[in-house]
Amino acid sequence: MQRSSWLGLAFLSPALIVVLLFFLMPVILTGIFAFTNMSTATGVKGGSYVLNASSLRALTDAGLPDVTRSQIESAGYRVDERGLAALAEAHGQAVAEEFSKNHAGEVFTKRRDVERALKDLSSNPIRKTRDRKAAADLFKRSILNQRYETLDAFEAALNEAGIPKPDRPLITEIAYTGWTWTTANFDLLLSLDSTWQYAKNTGIYVTFTLAFNVVFGLFLAITTFYLPAAQATAFRAIWFLPRILPPVLYIVMWRWFTWDTGFISTVLSGFGVSSKNWMLDTEYHAWVTVILINGFVGASMGMIVFSSAIRAIPASMLYASEVDGASRWQQVWYIILPQLRWPILFITSYQTMSLLTSFEYIYLSTDGGPGGSTEVWALAAFHTALNNYGGNLQYGLGATYALLLVVIGVLASLFYLRLFNFKNLLTKPRIEG
Amino acid sequence: MRISITNFTKTFGDTTVIKDMSLEIESGEMLALLGPSGCGKSTTLFSICGIHRMNAGRLRFGDKDVTKRPPQERNVGVVFQNYALYPHMDVHANIAFPLKVRKEPRAEIDRKVLEIAALVHIEELLQRKPSQLSGGQQQRVALARALVRKPDILLLDEPLANLDAKLRLEMRSEIRRIQQQTGITAVLVTHDQVEAMSMCDRIALMNKGDIVQVCKPKEMYDNPASDFVAGFLGNPPIAFLDGIANDGEIRLANSEVALRLPSNVIDLSNGTQLRLGIRPEFFQPENDMKVTGKVSFVETQGREDLFDVTLTNGAVLRSIQSRGGDIKLGDEVTWGISREHILAFGPGGERL
Repeated sequence: MQRSSWLGLAFLSPALIVVLLFFLMPVILTGIFAFTNMSTATGVKGGSYVLNASSLRALTDAGLPDVTRSQIESAGYRVDERGLAALAEAHGQAVAEEFSKNHAGEVFTKRRDVERALKDLSSNPIRKTRDRKAAADLFKRSILNQRYETLDAFEAALNEAGIPKPDRPLITEIAYTGWTWTTANFDLLLSLDSTWQYAKNTGIYVTFTLAFNVVFGLFLAITTFYLPAAQATAFRAIWFLPRILPPVLYIVMWRWFTWDTGFISTVLSGFGVSSKNWMLDTEYHAWVTVILINGFVGASMGMIVFSSAIRAIPASMLYASEVDGASRWQQVWYIILPQLRWPILFITSYQTMSLLTSFEYIYLSTDGGPGGSTEVWALAAFHTALNNYGGNLQYGLGATYALLLVVIGVLASLFYLRLFNFKNLLTKPRIEG
Repeated sequence: MRISITNFTKTFGDTTVIKDMSLEIESGEMLALLGPSGCGKSTTLFSICGIHRMNAGRLRFGDKDVTKRPPQERNVGVVFQNYALYPHMDVHANIAFPLKVRKEPRAEIDRKVLEIAALVHIEELLQRKPSQLSGGQQQRVALARALVRKPDILLLDEPLANLDAKLRLEMRSEIRRIQQQTGITAVLVTHDQVEAMSMCDRIALMNKGDIVQVCKPKEMYDNPASDFVAGFLGNPPIAFLDGIANDGEIRLANSEVALRLPSNVIDLSNGTQLRLGIRPEFFQPENDMKVTGKVSFVETQGREDLFDVTLTNGAVLRSIQSRGGDIKLGDEVTWGISREHILAFGPGGERL
């Protein structure tokens, strides 16, 4: 490679780093996370090993023999050498010896029983209840509700508890609190009714918003084309406002507009209509609001692209159609619209992509409500992975939603590229003017 | 159909392009609007077809006042300089467009399109897209589209400007043939005097928004109304000599040379500022009113040779002669001016 090429790369490197960090890495990580069961409970680093009541239930469901199960459950408190030595150290050799004589080798299921046995020693050497409880704990040998930080420690504990070797792998697997590799996310996702609801919502959202964007953008572009230049510019500037407004402010205004004490309610209350939240009172209103919010922003983009495309049509061609006798409608229908074919296709495909993945305006306005009726796929992925009401963020499942969206997006891009016949678009026109 | 423009004024913002112009175009006539670029000839054309609104004045087609009518209601066919074909329609659809927007029956449209395609010789191109046509073919399609609905008037805006020299020659006679065959009233906008003279019945010569002279091409050439007209028409161009009238002669500026004036201006009072126009074909060796000068430029044009002869006072005369002479650059020659063909102009450029 020549020196200048290195220099070029060096100049590019900030962009490359940004692309890598903020675009490529998230996609790769999404792909990785989608095949794990990561959640708040598992954390994203490693985990530890804990057997508790619920993991015991899971073990039973997974086919752990009852013998082994009761062995784990009833492991309780065992009066063994280790415990006696500890007792001797805490309360004196005499106490330990007496306790050994009475109970050596015995197994108690409950701490209470151990305490009672300690209390029954002659002269009741451990007076305080708290001390007795601590002394009882010296004999605790159950692996239930114990946290083992490493696999070795857990296996040692299993070994000590005398759990049969064949059952150990299953117990280890269920006791592990960290994340594991799994494809269960996909099965779960496909089996959930809500998944299909999200898909349906996304379909409604994309279709209607897209139609609004394109049709309204076209309408604005064509009407402003026929206006005098100064008026057209002012008009376009006004329609462009939603796009340059900060999204949060824009949505706050929509919320004021639709609140039960907001603009619509206030105005309509004058006509005897009881006030209500016009955004969230019904599914239908929620959809209308969501589509209008997104549509007004998207339409301005269509308007700009279509306007410049119309102005790129040679004036003589429009003159020609006028002297040929075409009315304004016919001019729009036969001359302008056919020549906007590529811009319309471009806006359609571009907006499909961005609408599929966009959820910020929905998140800020309805947040998927009422009752999940405007919860689109991308918002569901966000909610599942990063903003769960219950508090358990399911990174793995959320990533699975996102990954499917990436796949759909790539397929749609390929379809549109095919439709565009991209090479054709790049060739120079043979007729000028 | 007769076109009559009276007191037409057109302004763009603060710029007045055309002021108080009047022009009559006879029915069935082909008239050229000729002039240098920026003289307002295209503006006039676009005002006739209604693309530009007239700021003042009246426009009548026959007896009908169309001043306020939009272009759709004027029934004019226009051929634009870049043809303005619709790129997304094939040739058939392009030609059929004026009929289609009038919602004529399909069979009728097909019949008329085929008829007009035969007239302009493009029958075999009907299925092509404009991008698949050569310049000359696009020109024919544009003509067909302008003519297909039998307009009252055909307007041509520099129709030959985008063609190469050979095609230009061919389309020149084609357009004239089609115009004569259909008998349509036509207005041709051009800056090319040859086009104007060869294609049109009459020429309206424009300069700076005014019509300087309107008449038949030959008459305009022989009898120009001003030095501007004389200088605009003719290739190679006319040469001018400035001087002062003195006893039926002209004393050329900064020189002792005196020439007799043509008989129609012989009785000018002494001291009048004069400008003589001498066309190259009237400055020949055999003519009797001799002038001596040095050959300062020689151009071989094939059949003819063109010479510039610089007189002692620096004025230049042009001569065009049949080939065969043995004259070289720098030779001193004494050639004659045909006295009765001298065009005399006054100090303001007006013809005397």
